[in-house]
Amino acid sequence: MANVEITKVRKCFGNVEVLHEISLSIQTGEFVVLVGPSGCGKSTLLRMVAGLDVPTSGTIAIDSEIVNSMPPKLRGVAMVFQNYALYPHMTVRQNLSFGLKLAKVDSLEIKKRVLESSEILGIQDHLDKKPGQLSGGQKQRVAMGRAMVRQPKVFLFDEPLSNLDAQLRVKMRTELSLLHRRVQATSIYVTHDQVEAMTLADRIAVMYQGKLEQVGKPLELYQNPKTKFVASFIGTPSMNFIEGEILTKLKPPKGSVCGGFRPESTFLSEEGAPAKLFLGKGRVVLVEPLGAMAYVHVSLAGQTVIIEAKSEVFPKNEDPVSVWIDPTKIFFFQDNGNRL
Amino acid sequence: MKKDSSLLAWGLLFPTLLVLGCFVIYPALQSFVLSFQDVEPFSKQSFFIGFENYMVLFRSPDYWQSLRVTFFFLVMTVIPSLLLSLAIAITLDANPFFQNFLRTLFLLPVAISSSMAAMLWIFIYNPTAGFLNYILDVMGIQGPNWLADPDYALVAIAVATVWKEIGFNIIFFLAGLTAIPTELKEAAELDGASPRQRLFYVVLPLLSPTLFFVSVVSVINSLQSFGQIHILTAGGPMGESTTLVYNLYRDAFVKFRTGLASSEAVVLFILIMGATVFQFRMAKKRVHYG
Ligand SMILES: Nc1ncnc2c1ncn2[C@@H]1O[C@H](COP(=O)(O)OP(=O)(O)O)[C@@H](O)[C@H]1O
Ligand SMILES: [Mg+2]
Repeated sequence: MANVEITKVRKCFGNVEVLHEISLSIQTGEFVVLVGPSGCGKSTLLRMVAGLDVPTSGTIAIDSEIVNSMPPKLRGVAMVFQNYALYPHMTVRQNLSFGLKLAKVDSLEIKKRVLESSEILGIQDHLDKKPGQLSGGQKQRVAMGRAMVRQPKVFLFDEPLSNLDAQLRVKMRTELSLLHRRVQATSIYVTHDQVEAMTLADRIAVMYQGKLEQVGKPLELYQNPKTKFVASFIGTPSMNFIEGEILTKLKPPKGSVCGGFRPESTFLSEEGAPAKLFLGKGRVVLVEPLGAMAYVHVSLAGQTVIIEAKSEVFPKNEDPVSVWIDPTKIFFFQDNGNRL
Repeated sequence: MKKDSSLLAWGLLFPTLLVLGCFVIYPALQSFVLSFQDVEPFSKQSFFIGFENYMVLFRSPDYWQSLRVTFFFLVMTVIPSLLLSLAIAITLDANPFFQNFLRTLFLLPVAISSSMAAMLWIFIYNPTAGFLNYILDVMGIQGPNWLADPDYALVAIAVATVWKEIGFNIIFFLAGLTAIPTELKEAAELDGASPRQRLFYVVLPLLSPTLFFVSVVSVINSLQSFGQIHILTAGGPMGESTTLVYNLYRDAFVKFRTGLASSEAVVLFILIMGATVFQFRMAKKRVHYG
């Protein structure tokens, strides 16, 4: 197993720079999730670690060895692709053993490893089927098995769960989490789904428009976002933002600012939390009941904010409501998106 | 309801069936019938003679020669044309930069009429003024009279045929190669496969349906070649380029031996059928669909 050190990596396709000086270091055994909206460059970064793309500048080191121009097969990495990329003309067993055969691993050893990983993944009954005969979830497991049997130094995942239906995705997410706890392999996992990122990651690296916005533990990003983008991207429903100006005399920042607060820091009554701040009166636009609580969309001073209502009785559409907020949970962001 | 829709189906099929019936099925049956008859060339009277035509065929050394020529022609056209077009398609697929230009270039011969193409090759092969012998002459080699030399005529026609048909195969191979997902090749690369191994273990197996289709069509085309042979050598020299089809043509339209020619047509049909069935059999184990 190995650490991965990405240092000031840039990537241009033609004249377009899609990654700007990305630096990220991943410890041995760590599970790092690269998360960001689609098109922000996650796959490109992952492919450079895999060796399928070459950085325009900067270095990538695996196990303290710079691998920029090393072909993929010498890097000791295995990758799980979004659409599985299983060889359709080979059986599951052949898919799993293909890499080992090419590496001239002893055939008994191949047998052993294929059996071992297929048992871990619960696909031992399907070894003689072709990928076309498997369900989405089973294909996904085979794709992971193909990575596992090679016992790579680093696992790379490119949105491996995004082709599964919602239920299966949650199930596989849990399994993946348990699997990582068991295997303890260095992993880089790409997703656009922040819930996946939050639940799987030791550390999350949030990417936006080819830059790393913030790297940190999941809760750290949630509780202490450094930029407006991170604040809006992490957490569902998304953080509320209200544009405005700060009128205090202490140290007024230049330009307008934006105040952000999460739905769970707001209240529809004054009771409960300490030091609640009255935000204003509004009108209910939409109620999304989820059982124990509801997300109430309130139109307030021309903007819509989402409020988490914990009471037993939820307001109804068009109801007039008053909104309070926990003042310690407000984040202020500058024009350029940075935290104040 | 059910009756209505099957009536509609027959109605829609009717024009196609009519054309096929008149111009394919009826003549085919007719030549099958004729192959058992002796047809007088001038009175058009015909008599049933059983397998006599077939006996004549199989006793004729010329016919066996044309079988041999056809077989060599098949080997000399199908194999080089498949290998070459596959190699070119794989190269073009890996270098998309020139792909459009080169694809058009290779497709050009397909678009030219076969008589035009044959005329072109007549100029190239001309023993004194031809381009090929000029080049050989520059290199200090005395080129043969390609189309008149029994050792070279068939090869010369095969080269022209391959040149003419390669573009068609390239188009199909390129389409097949484009359909192979990039991730599969990348997965193989990560699995440690060299470019060669990726080609043999991933790309070619996935291309096998296309390979199969193209080879079936190539074999049929080759067995039916006529135009280029007629123009380049007219079956000569000494019958060295007289294929089954060309022999058939001469028996039917030069010697007016309609019955005999019909039996040749039946034999050719059986051969093509056999070759195709053989290919389908071979394909069963080796062709991977999706
Ligand atoms: N081979 C390529 N050629 C040109 N542009 C590319 C190529 N691959 C990716 N891009 C561009 O780079 C950006 C990042 O792409 P990608 O890494 O796939 O994003 P993500 O995986 O985060 O959705 C996108 O704008 C995409 O259009
Ligand atoms: Mg991507």
